[in-house]
Amino acid sequence: MWTFLRRRIISSAIPLIVVIVGVFALARLTGNPASLYLPLNATEQMRADFTARNGLDDPLLVQMANYFGGVLRLDFGVSLRTGEPAGEMVLRAFPATLQLAGVTMLLAVLLAVIVGSWAALKPNGIVDRISSFASMAAASIPDFWLAIMGILVFAITLGWVPTSGVSSPTSWILPIAVLLMRPFGVLVQIVRGAMVSSLSEPYIKLARSKGASEVRVVGRHALRNAAAPALTVAGDLAVGLINGAVVVESIFGWPGIGKLMIDSILQRDFAVLQAAVLLTAVSIFALNILIDLGYALLDARVRPSAKAKKRRVSPAAATERKLNVQPTR
Amino acid sequence: MSSSSSTSVSMTARSARSGLIGVALAAGSLLLLSSCSVANSEPSGGSASADLVRVVLSQEPPTLEPCEANLTSTGVVVRSNITEPLVERNPTTGDLDPLLATEWEATGDTEWTFTLRDDVTFQDGTPFNAEAAAFAIDRAVNSDLGCNVEGYVFGDDDLEVTAVDETTLTVSTVTPDPILPLRLSFVEIVPTSTDTAAKVREPIGTGPYKVKQWDAGTKLTLERNDDYWGDAPAFAAAEYQWRAEGTVRAAMVTSGEADLAMGLGADDGAGDLGLDYPNNETVGLRLTAEIAPLNDIRVRQAINYAIDKQGITDSLYQGAHLPAAQLVPEGIVGHNPDLEPWEFDVAKASALVAEAKADGVPVDEKITIVARNAQFPKVSEMSQILQEQLTQAGLNVELKMVDTSQHLQYQLRPFVTNEGAIALLIQHGNQAGDAAFSVEQYMTTTGAQSVFGTPEFDTMLTDAGLLTGDERESAYQDIFEYQNEEIVQFAFIAHQTGVIGKAATVDYTPNSSSGDELRLAEITPVG
Repeated sequence: MWTFLRRRIISSAIPLIVVIVGVFALARLTGNPASLYLPLNATEQMRADFTARNGLDDPLLVQMANYFGGVLRLDFGVSLRTGEPAGEMVLRAFPATLQLAGVTMLLAVLLAVIVGSWAALKPNGIVDRISSFASMAAASIPDFWLAIMGILVFAITLGWVPTSGVSSPTSWILPIAVLLMRPFGVLVQIVRGAMVSSLSEPYIKLARSKGASEVRVVGRHALRNAAAPALTVAGDLAVGLINGAVVVESIFGWPGIGKLMIDSILQRDFAVLQAAVLLTAVSIFALNILIDLGYALLDARVRPSAKAKKRRVSPAAATERKLNVQPTR
Repeated sequence: MSSSSSTSVSMTARSARSGLIGVALAAGSLLLLSSCSVANSEPSGGSASADLVRVVLSQEPPTLEPCEANLTSTGVVVRSNITEPLVERNPTTGDLDPLLATEWEATGDTEWTFTLRDDVTFQDGTPFNAEAAAFAIDRAVNSDLGCNVEGYVFGDDDLEVTAVDETTLTVSTVTPDPILPLRLSFVEIVPTSTDTAAKVREPIGTGPYKVKQWDAGTKLTLERNDDYWGDAPAFAAAEYQWRAEGTVRAAMVTSGEADLAMGLGADDGAGDLGLDYPNNETVGLRLTAEIAPLNDIRVRQAINYAIDKQGITDSLYQGAHLPAAQLVPEGIVGHNPDLEPWEFDVAKASALVAEAKADGVPVDEKITIVARNAQFPKVSEMSQILQEQLTQAGLNVELKMVDTSQHLQYQLRPFVTNEGAIALLIQHGNQAGDAAFSVEQYMTTTGAQSVFGTPEFDTMLTDAGLLTGDERESAYQDIFEYQNEEIVQFAFIAHQTGVIGKAATVDYTPNSSSGDELRLAEITPVG
């Protein structure tokens, strides 16, 4: 287990450094922030002072060395826009995104498992048809439109929930409902497909012939084997949400990292952008490790044991292979 | 084999169970976390009472630093609410009204003397006096803080500020400056305890409200300053929230979650709760008059004739905007009330283009209209209409929509020069109240945002800047007329109108400064 973790952390460090260097360089390609932060009629002298004051006149390599030095001391620099330490701003925004993403994914997975399994029980039955249509619609409707319509209907016309903000527990309902749609729609289809294939396997027939209850057949035997593809897709969807649900955060005034990142890109607020990208990159690597551990929980053959190490089978490769392998029961 | 296989299965089942328990625990703690950390602010309550007025802005103030208060996002909260200047411009009359200074006069070619109030204290209890005023001006204009207000209203030259006695302050400039008091109306006064090495996020001032709490990302609350020297404002507290979408801001007013919504568009859905007000913004095309085919004045005139200004304001803005004939709207010193917008006459435009062509002007050369995405409501629709109308006049026009940072390369010196003739769609807001702030930028030969000028025009502009009173007004009026007749660097389109959403629970009358400086003391509860 520890060998597996160590290997994953080392292999994650390289892309992490590439991401940080890439963001650092790309951000600076967008130009000097002086023109955005100073009034349009600022003189040349003022622009030069601004550039010097913020260390933007140093050679790029010096700026990068300063930045990496700062990161090692957990000093991410100061926001040009607000004058606050960038690290503080990012750490303040991240929990809001994490909570929104966490609750959304949890509900999406639970609902998708229930609806997808139900639909798979009778392929082409009425439940299957309705859920196919609904999940396709949920996955396709643009969240911008859905958010505005949700506000118009549920906040203004019916007055059931607040339009936006985080002022009360009911404020969570609309953002989560909007954000939920796409992951739910996609996952229902994945769960349904995997369950249809699982339920037609011989071991299910065997379980039924043994007299196992339908709940046990579906919940224990079929769902276990259908879970791997759903976990892969859910992981990808969760990564998207951790990156920040930009549209939903902007519309509902949710103080999360997506909105912070967009604002810092538009305002060339390099320090905040770099800190935000670093934190989300680290979180996504952590999430990927968790997903790999999840595979291991689901299937002993992909567990990173000494045997797996000897065979040099990566968890991801093993998972792919697993999809084509009949489980032995 | 079978025994080992069954052991493995039962172990997997155990792991799966413990995994599920882990997931459930994690989910539970997430839900718990979510209920206590983001949703930690109390509900805002129902409708407005004299206790609280709720305002929704389009963005969170990046800072409340008073020396950045000329930035709309900061100034709308700070100016005349938390901090105050010595004098303030009355947005309705255009005159300067006394605030922390009771009188002011020019006491020399380059010196102004201000008499200050003696009954004012800062919110931290320290007295306001000439020393504090001198400190605040010095900090904003002469320091190395890089204050935005320094670049906005003052150039590179420093001011010499002297506290003569407790209530007398003199301010000297390097060259004569007849509008120095107007410039100083942008400098908010802070106590001498304010940091001079760094900008502050939550300032102390003399205003009717002070900062109570700032939940960054969520909301900002101000409370009434009970020691305020002037009349006490009606509301005991003010709460600011921010939403990027105009529709959501309007919805907050219609659903009773906010009392005022700032910066709405005409179709954001505020309905009867939307109040129109002139926001001093003017839209027009700035023409690179030294690059063919725009280097011929007839082509620039043709562009002015080709644009259906009334049609654009009627179809895109429900007639709320006014067709424009000059860079500044009514209410700004120097606005020329006699100037009429260029008439819309495609035949005349085509004739001028044909005439230029006959004289060898390469009218077929490409002209690029450059406009900025999301600069103002319906900017892309307006740009497409302009492209079509200029094409109708016989010109070869392309449209290029760019983002802010790219737009700045066209807007500010050094300009993009390798793309041929450019008609830049500009939006200019004169929030200072004097035409000098517009023409220095947009009309002098070397102005930071000017692409064309003549030595005679430069002389007119310099001379006008030194005048005062009626002479000044009339000199700038001549300048706007001269630009339309002899220079034609611009094709003006419209003076814009802003919309503020106002709930029936409060009384407020917006004015041309409302978007930059929302005075909370002017908001009162209904009934």
